[in-house]
Amino acid sequence: MNPRHLNARNMGIALAILALALPFVLEGNRFLAFVFGMVMINVLWASGMNLLYGYVGLMPLMFAGIAGIAAYAMIYLTRSFGWSFWLAMPAASFGAALIGVLLGLPSLRLKGFYFTLCSLVIQTVLTLAFIFFPHFTNGDTGLNQIAPPEWFNGAPLAGLWFDLVLAIFAVAGAAFCAWLVPTRLGQRFIAIREDDVLAAVLGINVVRNKIIAFFLVSLYAAVGGCFYATYVGFISPRAFDVLTSLNIWLFVAFGGRGTIIGPIIGAVILAPIPFLLQELQAFKDVLSGVLIIVVTLVLPGGIYGELLRRRALRRAAAQPQTGTTAAPRT
Amino acid sequence: MSLLEVSALSKHFGGVIALKNVDVQMRAGETLGMIGPNGSGKTTFVNIVSGQLRADSGGMRFDGHDTLGRQPHELARLGLTRSYQAVRVFAGLSVQKNIDTACLLLAGEGLARAQLQELTEWLRLDLALDKSAGGLTLFEQRRLELLMRLAQRPKLIMLDEPVGGLAVTEVREMILLLQQLKARCSIFVIEHTMRVIRELADRVVVLMAGEKIADGPPAEILRDQRVIEHYLGTVHA
Repeated sequence: MNPRHLNARNMGIALAILALALPFVLEGNRFLAFVFGMVMINVLWASGMNLLYGYVGLMPLMFAGIAGIAAYAMIYLTRSFGWSFWLAMPAASFGAALIGVLLGLPSLRLKGFYFTLCSLVIQTVLTLAFIFFPHFTNGDTGLNQIAPPEWFNGAPLAGLWFDLVLAIFAVAGAAFCAWLVPTRLGQRFIAIREDDVLAAVLGINVVRNKIIAFFLVSLYAAVGGCFYATYVGFISPRAFDVLTSLNIWLFVAFGGRGTIIGPIIGAVILAPIPFLLQELQAFKDVLSGVLIIVVTLVLPGGIYGELLRRRALRRAAAQPQTGTTAAPRT
Repeated sequence: MSLLEVSALSKHFGGVIALKNVDVQMRAGETLGMIGPNGSGKTTFVNIVSGQLRADSGGMRFDGHDTLGRQPHELARLGLTRSYQAVRVFAGLSVQKNIDTACLLLAGEGLARAQLQELTEWLRLDLALDKSAGGLTLFEQRRLELLMRLAQRPKLIMLDEPVGGLAVTEVREMILLLQQLKARCSIFVIEHTMRVIRELADRVVVLMAGEKIADGPPAEILRDQRVIEHYLGTVHA
């Protein structure tokens, strides 16, 4: 087996153990534990964004909008019909994922920059919809006192155990990506990312695979949205606006798109910043902007992508004799 | 029964007529060449037959299926594939990954490992498997393109200028490879290099401004007065 894969797998397992252990370590410090919980939600989101952005090559800026649809729907189901979170969350997420597919349909023929523009328009419309349907969303004021999910015994999920549930979902989300990528479906995604015309000539149904990808990425967005709403306890249209989409995109691009570990690294490094720099709100947005420029210009592959590239270069330099071109056979 | 049967195919782009009532028939095992001046509709013809463009009118049958309006991925499944004038491989992936992607189509019923190995050695890509496909020479990329198509066990492969851009010695090698390819599947080939047509094709179709003006064995076609005048170029020379 390729040692690089072994490394990535070991790193993944180490990160998973760390994620599941940290809630216990941070139990005494509510602030840090909360930051940890937010990081876990963002790891889940970044893994989902990476499926479409990193593997299919489409940048979905309506990501936060889908998360918002699921969050509002979940709250509506629990408040108006008395559903349990554990029933409302999957139902709302599934519905939001289907809406994600529908919203993706018009952009099926677009790729690259044009897809991104289209998704930006969709995100903007969704943000406006959250404001203009106050019956469901309470408009700009937002919804507060969102009940946390209930625990097995009916008590509300809180503290250590809520953090642990978030960690489990984050680990499961990343693990699902790691499982998916080497499968035939994952390989088709990569082929579409590299060259969709060639992929079609090689027998890959580009439209169908893109729809599957839209569904999966929307599902990640939606599940994360439901947890975000119950964990923070308050949502407003601002929580699910285009800046949120861009932030999640930045986690993926900064960490390393098209790798499993990269988006996790990105989320772990960048997601805590707004909480740790609460006194410097203006500076936070400046930092985001600077990071976007730096990533685009200096680290097009992200931190982890750059690491892999350097490692490959070193390996190639270490063995200059092999890999010469095949001499013509006579 | 013919493998490919195209009847009265027409296509226009705005006011430009790209193809006008073109009939082409091909038997299984045959190598059919298509020649014509630039802009005569050759690539448009391949684009339509391979499902990348829609025809305005006409009929198309491949291997007993009505294929007019079918998508490229459906045609790949039926065994009709193509290459590109500007070579097209997954430049960002390794040669091995390129081949693996091509093998996704048939999965279990695909080539056995030994057959794939044989193809790889025949096309002399066995030492380049770990390299990035984007870093290969043009000739290597053309061979990889062929390998990826053959891994899908096509019945018909449509080659759009397979020796375009190759050096003289490489052209000779490519013709040799294509001659051996004839034993593996039916070939439809667009070419400007007359040597390729002469040495490869069993039959040649000549397009001129979207219309078929001749159809026959290469020796006969290359002597045809109209072809010489309009295409091989004695009129203005």
